[in-house]
Amino acid sequence: MTQSPRNHSSLSTSFIARVGLLSALALIFSYVEAIIPYSPAVPGIKLGIANVVTVIALYKFGSKDAVCVSVIRIVIAGLLFNGLFGMLYSLAGATLSLAGMIGLKYTDKFSVVGVSMAAGVLHNLGQLLVASALIEDLRIFIYFPVLLFSGIAAGILVGVAAALILRSLIL
Amino acid sequence: MKQLIRKADVILFIVLIAVGLAASAVLSVHSGSSTDAKVVIKSGGRVYARYPLSEDAELEIPAPGSAGSSASSETDECTHYLNYNVVSIKDGRVSVSKASCKNQVCVRHGSISMPGETIVCLPNRLVVSIEGDEGGGYDSITS
Ligand SMILES: [Zn+2]
Repeated sequence: MTQSPRNHSSLSTSFIARVGLLSALALIFSYVEAIIPYSPAVPGIKLGIANVVTVIALYKFGSKDAVCVSVIRIVIAGLLFNGLFGMLYSLAGATLSLAGMIGLKYTDKFSVVGVSMAAGVLHNLGQLLVASALIEDLRIFIYFPVLLFSGIAAGILVGVAAALILRSLIL
Repeated sequence: MKQLIRKADVILFIVLIAVGLAASAVLSVHSGSSTDAKVVIKSGGRVYARYPLSEDAELEIPAPGSAGSSASSETDECTHYLNYNVVSIKDGRVSVSKASCKNQVCVRHGSISMPGETIVCLPNRLVVSIEGDEGGGYDSITS
């Protein structure tokens, strides 16, 4: 991270520019995923390619960037194409997965892939918790194993992609 | 960067897989098949109705908050309500054949027939599930 010499304002110009750029990139991934036709048997199964950007933001620039990029991406994607329900689920998932990612990265015991795998699982768990609260029926937890396994798979794929990009990034 | 996969990753992976397998084992024990199964329709968290799985039926379920919006005369469309789901029970299988929701996840879910299985429509806050024989406790041994 570059140290700004004039750091009296809490939001430096470079931070705003960087977060704006990363959010735009993440939004494109969200859009691509939203227009790909797929019909999962279980609501909520997603690859989450936009999370590649979140993981890269976390490792390259820190947790503040990662949180901002993912919240901006989810809110705009919600307003544009995912709808308010989608936004609510994504925010719940993102809250849990960001907390998990930041926590695991802090321990310094996990690789990017491991952190991303945990994030994938926590993302699905957050969505499941919101769904069960909305529906007021715990029976929805019958989806827990499926969402857990798909979260692992999606998280690993996202993590490998992010790790490869991080390795070749010269920033 | 360090290596792609580290020891802690593998441990976490094994733990997560174990949790998933344990959870699916527990869930499958609780959903043994039964002859006297009922279709439970929940709307907005409350039980809306129970129907026997063995009798064919087509039911229109209004979403919470949109009941009686224009329930006038017999129109051929089944949109008496602003938001609704049509639950079909046929040959021991339950499906949502029609719904007002935008994502249509409930319609695409297909049909269910086993106790414990569930179809959910999040926008309309609808849960359709199959309930086994209540008195049976754990699944009785049926062929
Ligand atoms: Zn639906």
